[in-house]
Amino acid sequence: MNVNRTVSLLASILLGVAGCGGGGGSDEPPPPPPPPPITKAEAFQLLNQASFGATEDEAQAVISMRPEQWIDDQMRKPPSLQLPHMLTLPPPQFMGQLHVDRVDIWFRNVLLEDDQLRQRVAFALSEIMVVSQLGALQGRPFAVADFYDVLVQNAFGNYRDLIEEVTLHPAMGVYLSMLGNEKPNPALNIRPDENYARELMQLFSIGLVELNIDGSVVLDGNNQPIPTYDQEIIEGFAHVFTGWTWLGSPSFGSGRVPVASQYFPMELWPDFHDTGEKTLLDGVVLPAGQTGEQDLADALDNIFNHPNVGPFMAIRLIQRLTTSNPSPGYVRRVAETFNDNGFGVRGDLGAVVKAILLDPEARPALAMEIDGKLKEPLIRLTQLFKAYDATSESGRYPLVASYILFGQGPLQSPSVFNFFSPFFAPPGEIRDSSLVAPELEIATEYLNTLFTNYMFFQTFGLNHTNEDLEEDQIYINLQEEMDIAADIDGLIDMVADKLLGGEISDPLRTEMAGMLALLPETDPVLRAAEAVYFVVTSPEYAYQR
Amino acid sequence: MKTLNRRDFLRTSGAAALFAATPGLAYSQVVGGGASFTDYRALVCVFMFGGNDSYNMLVPNTGPEYAAYATSRQNLALLQADLLPITPASLGTPDFGLHPSMGGVQGLFQSGDAAFVTNVGPLVEPTTKDQYFSKSVSLPPQLFSHNDQQDQWTSLRGNVPSKTGWAGRMADLIRDGVAGQQMATNASLFGSNLFQSADETVAYVMGPNGPLQFEGFSTTPGELLNEQRLAFNRVVDAQYDTIYERGFAAVQRRAIDAADTVTTAIDNAPVLNTVFPASQLGTQLATVARLIAVRDELQMQRQIFFVATGGFDSHDDQNLNQPGLLGGISEAISAFHAATAELNIADSVTTFTQSDFGRTLTSNGDGTDHAWAGNQLIVGGAVNGGDLYGSYPLLEIGGPEDVGGGRMIPSTSADQYAATLARWFGIPEVDLDVVAPNLGNFAQRDLGFMIV
Repeated sequence: MNVNRTVSLLASILLGVAGCGGGGGSDEPPPPPPPPPITKAEAFQLLNQASFGATEDEAQAVISMRPEQWIDDQMRKPPSLQLPHMLTLPPPQFMGQLHVDRVDIWFRNVLLEDDQLRQRVAFALSEIMVVSQLGALQGRPFAVADFYDVLVQNAFGNYRDLIEEVTLHPAMGVYLSMLGNEKPNPALNIRPDENYARELMQLFSIGLVELNIDGSVVLDGNNQPIPTYDQEIIEGFAHVFTGWTWLGSPSFGSGRVPVASQYFPMELWPDFHDTGEKTLLDGVVLPAGQTGEQDLADALDNIFNHPNVGPFMAIRLIQRLTTSNPSPGYVRRVAETFNDNGFGVRGDLGAVVKAILLDPEARPALAMEIDGKLKEPLIRLTQLFKAYDATSESGRYPLVASYILFGQGPLQSPSVFNFFSPFFAPPGEIRDSSLVAPELEIATEYLNTLFTNYMFFQTFGLNHTNEDLEEDQIYINLQEEMDIAADIDGLIDMVADKLLGGEISDPLRTEMAGMLALLPETDPVLRAAEAVYFVVTSPEYAYQR
Repeated sequence: MKTLNRRDFLRTSGAAALFAATPGLAYSQVVGGGASFTDYRALVCVFMFGGNDSYNMLVPNTGPEYAAYATSRQNLALLQADLLPITPASLGTPDFGLHPSMGGVQGLFQSGDAAFVTNVGPLVEPTTKDQYFSKSVSLPPQLFSHNDQQDQWTSLRGNVPSKTGWAGRMADLIRDGVAGQQMATNASLFGSNLFQSADETVAYVMGPNGPLQFEGFSTTPGELLNEQRLAFNRVVDAQYDTIYERGFAAVQRRAIDAADTVTTAIDNAPVLNTVFPASQLGTQLATVARLIAVRDELQMQRQIFFVATGGFDSHDDQNLNQPGLLGGISEAISAFHAATAELNIADSVTTFTQSDFGRTLTSNGDGTDHAWAGNQLIVGGAVNGGDLYGSYPLLEIGGPEDVGGGRMIPSTSADQYAATLARWFGIPEVDLDVVAPNLGNFAQRDLGFMIV
């Protein structure tokens, strides 16, 4: 497999694909020739990486603007948020009910709004810096919605600002129990809560072991990985993260707080903050006597400046957006962009996203079998929804059971470890080749069958010809397919254009043609549904090139 | 407490011992793989995700030991008067107590159907506090981290990362002996997991209520939906260019293959009188009971089920949540044992727990943090029940087992725990080191809690 990767890169070079991103080289390249026009399939590829599903209209926009300008244009779009919508709703009977509306506004934003790239990056971040409705936040829907807004607003911002907003957000405070964490009380054997300290480092920033700039693991003299932190450092950070609770809370630990506390940063109660010395990463020791705010700022700077953050975030974001198995060179180019955006700024996430999407490895000239990734179930769903104008009579998308139906839903992870692990490698050729396929962890026999069956009902039952739909049932529009249903090849071409960027495999085309010929020409909706069903349940649709 | 000096490994031949000593080469693999079985046995792993605070599950009930516990745990300590007392057979006095929510397990313990292994956790080799701090022994890496310690419990590789779990390796070892089975040896009702991951065999992942059938497929020749099924199958079986499409198609293939056989069998399962709790775990265990009920129809001889429930990561509100968590475990496992008794199969089904880690004895105010050793529960008719196995430490902060904050060093290894279950399952002595790779570092190869 690694040989194939090398071949792929060699081929890219031989075929003259322009390198980009990264920096770090000292040779000034000659001014590049104008890039060749991109094909519709390439536009689909970019859109499936950078949006919630390619559509024909958006593909035309990418083709006419060219990818880089399309990305720049996307980055200028104003953010679509959740909280403003949540605040217009009448008070619910019980708080948890509002998660239905939270999921509804998530779908509306990702299906109908223009800030597609921002939403897609926010979704990626929500799978790295995880909070979940499932658990202690069930009764805090405003906090969960506002946390997502923080990710949306910072998607192209600076990582240092993002981790500060994440750290002080009450949703994270509740989820990883920094909220209400207090200084030690040795007489009662009480010491600070280590939960946030540990997961912030392991999952949100630096990971467990020292990394090289290209994402490879640093080995010591005995060929062993080097841990990034130990228990003493975790305890140091745990002491830093003491003293914070809900804004306007009547008492430090708990008590009834105003609903608005859910969407304002936590507040410091100095008496509950530990003022002792604190050992952090890289031998840094915070002096005793600092305020809670000083400790927090210093500790987040300490993490932010750790050399792991660049390669760590590069790998995580590359895996969410473009490919499961980036080459070391791809990771290095993106990590270098994280370390310096070209203007001396560290942590510029907008630059990182651009480097990921414009890297030659994101659109290899000669695709190899490890390029790309599996689509997450939610992305498979939204791509269908976008391509077929899914809506409901009420205009709502109340898919709050998404995590049950698809094994995945917006901010519905089973734990802080996300829906799947970045290291997941199923038995067989993927594991044997030391490769990974994270999304395959939730493509189980059970969840694949559930998804396939959902697609069966969505195509054959929940379409615009159904006159018995309930007002909240989401249906797709098959009219264009019905209009052409007498022409089997034309029908297949149309569905392949909408869902696969026009690139359909011969076996899938053959099987679809065979099945469609068995269906009566006089029943166009059946033919239309069959065609869409076959594509959205196929392995090639599940794959993101 | 009971100690076991059974030296089963002496029974093995010199040649077998030689093979066993060769890394990666087990006797049964050399001689052509896996005896066939004449009976049925099932292991059911109940995984408590998040790290169960098991020093509040099994609590000392004698004066000084309880006092040490209460001093260490402060506002998290259970009242001694609230404990459900249990009398380990080897002690003869009610020296321990269970969390007050665990009445079901108390009954199973006193009737001899349940046992605990105490202060158990992942180790590479026997480890003392001095050795821990001087780093003079090999330790599992990233102690106190959720996913790393889950992986260590389920893979038992100790200080090296593993791609296979100990249930997966068991399935590989016996695969030739169970070739007639209509379903994979390993079945999960809680998603993909490392525990059942293997080199040669693949675990089957079903839902909490069992497998699903595909909508819109018929098997009646001539019907349109039969054509649809066949066409769908041909798409799944087509050649694909990428590892991702092939991986996805392989799952679809297994889902199609298993759905019909298993759902047909399970639909014909006898209705059980045993009532299961309506919880996530109760639902999964009720499905396991139904699958066990149709073991003959599916020609099953050896099965390993993975069921799980979460919420044990009690950094916050521990006192509020623990009764529901531990009560839920007790009720679901008790119901499941009753169902196996109803099916007259209790002697052939062993349920056991695993969890990320134990939790700190000290409090963070209203909860606990990640630690290391803990106590595990084993239930079934083949369990040498009514007793504790391993040593139970004095729960004092700064004591000989505490590496800080009340994080206890395991005195029994997860390898020993797994090997004891594996031997009962039918894994030959010489293959136990494949199942539990660090077993050779520990003197006692069988903890004695299973009747073999």
